[in-house]
Amino acid sequence: MSRTITIDPVTRLEGHGKITLKTNVQGEVSDAYFSVTQVRGFEKFCEGRPYYEMPSLMARICGICPVSHLIASAKACEAIMSVEIPPTAAKLRRALNLAQTIQSHALSFFYLASPDLLLGMDADPAERNIFGVAKAYPELGRAGIGLRRFGQHMIELLGRKRIHPGWVVPGGVTQPLDPAKRDEILSFIPQAYTDVKLALAAYKQITERFQDEIDSFANFPGLFMSMVNEDGGLEFTDAGLRIIGAAGNILLDNLDARHFDEQIGEAVEPFSYMKFPYYKHLGYPAGTYRVGPLARLNIASHAGTPLADAELIEFKHLANGPVLGSFHYHHARLIEILHGIEVIEQLFSDSSILDKHVRATAGVNRQEGAGIAEAPRGTLMHHYRVDDKGLMTWANLVIATGQNNNAMNKGVLQAAQRYVKGDKLTDGMLNRVEAVIRTFDPCLSCSTHAFGQMPLVIELLAPDGTTLDEISRS
Amino acid sequence: MMSAATPHSANQPRRALLLACGNTLRGDDGVGWCIGCAVEQQLRGYDLTVVRTRQLLPEHAEAISAADVVVFVDCSAVSAAGTVSTILIQRAESLPHTLTHHLDPGSLLRLAHDLYARTPSHAVVVTVGGESFEMTDRLSRTVKAAVPRALEAVRCALLGFPAPETASQAC
Repeated sequence: MSRTITIDPVTRLEGHGKITLKTNVQGEVSDAYFSVTQVRGFEKFCEGRPYYEMPSLMARICGICPVSHLIASAKACEAIMSVEIPPTAAKLRRALNLAQTIQSHALSFFYLASPDLLLGMDADPAERNIFGVAKAYPELGRAGIGLRRFGQHMIELLGRKRIHPGWVVPGGVTQPLDPAKRDEILSFIPQAYTDVKLALAAYKQITERFQDEIDSFANFPGLFMSMVNEDGGLEFTDAGLRIIGAAGNILLDNLDARHFDEQIGEAVEPFSYMKFPYYKHLGYPAGTYRVGPLARLNIASHAGTPLADAELIEFKHLANGPVLGSFHYHHARLIEILHGIEVIEQLFSDSSILDKHVRATAGVNRQEGAGIAEAPRGTLMHHYRVDDKGLMTWANLVIATGQNNNAMNKGVLQAAQRYVKGDKLTDGMLNRVEAVIRTFDPCLSCSTHAFGQMPLVIELLAPDGTTLDEISRS
Repeated sequence: MMSAATPHSANQPRRALLLACGNTLRGDDGVGWCIGCAVEQQLRGYDLTVVRTRQLLPEHAEAISAADVVVFVDCSAVSAAGTVSTILIQRAESLPHTLTHHLDPGSLLRLAHDLYARTPSHAVVVTVGGESFEMTDRLSRTVKAAVPRALEAVRCALLGFPAPETASQAC
């Protein structure tokens, strides 16, 4: 008899969603859907507001990556203003975006993923959490907390608030960097290096235990997209986009914000509020692609900082061509943390970071503008239209998690076909299906602009749609 | 945040931490921050760190482990409006099974112990019963009137004297 399994809510994610697994008459999983079940409508209720309010308004979409929204939004506003921001403002934004990436990746790796990695996918769920990690591996627990605090404290020092700082504005930033704050940030760097090196060493020791998961967690050929700088290096804030194929071949290069929507379409499916972006040239679903740390490291030829470059060489040896297994998102996050610390150290060790010219001003000079930044989870795009007075008439956001939507669905199906057997769900099965999604570190609050935490449900359905089993965590 | 050296008396803890919790945009929920700001001004010169936060997080464990006394001040949604309660707390027996977006004080003490092998010798929660949690940055009249008593309770807790009023309501 065929059936449907529902996992609802999926745990240790940001947001709210559910997984539905359909089985055939042989009892094998035949299809899988990752559904995001909430919607907020930021694009709609911003209409009528002045464009310069957008960065602070849109950043409220997310409490984890508000800085990326601030930057993408400010860049869209600057396109409307037709201004180029001062070089020091660009450097400060770059540092702020990396600080956010560090704290977000630390949250993902240490708080959400490390319980599976360090304690095991089949460990007692009562212990399989960050507190269990803290108990079993206190040095790694301290490292995770330390890296998250480093990123958050740096955001607070620069933007005066840990979450939703108002420092990034259209035209640059509101205030130059105070030398005392620069010194304080630099004083945290040595410990941050120690913490991330500890995590990298621990990760490399445990990965061989997870070969089965590496093989079956969203491991398939497909496209990748990310920002890449002019010499092919890793970049998060100011550069064009590149799309590569599964063999590493460049399909599209130097895509800038103005032409983003000419190349990227957004499909919808009836089972989710989250959209399915795709590369128009290949159509949907063939043109769907992955973004985020794995995509960035697959696309960049080098990181441009010595320690991260050494790690990137090792990372690229995992495959002959792009690394296709999404389990390696975890590894990529740690390398990006290391790179972020190095770039912040470089930027803040240069006296030009204290330059007082940090904001350009202008009014409405165009009625349409778009901005792109790399959020921790991948490429983020804000696209606005305004009237003559600068009031918003239309907005569209293309969110990183949405761009991984098709890959997450394929990954859930792949893992479910590997692990879900028989008529009854076990916790180990449930956790592995959830863990596939965790590799992408989705932020469903961002992707549907949904409010609330993200528990998730798994539902098992018969071919006739009857619910046969359901597991729910809250 | 403030930290300054000062001579220590027998009653004065060496390192004090005040975690002022709440949301200043939700009416009386901002009373913790209001008290945190006032204490910071009043105890200038003491070895005191004031952390204003919307929620308790694992990242606070290290600061807690480094303190000799920690005081959490927050609004209570269950106490009668304007009631000031001082509750001694112990570290939790175990940590929560899931990580949500906040922690309770006992669990944070536990986490500080598990991660840093040290907890403050004295840990207190001071709460003020809230009346209104509407979208405003102002306190209700009832809670505003309770602020001096709450301030005194926090001062006493930080400086090691008995609180002037105690109650057993949960936070």
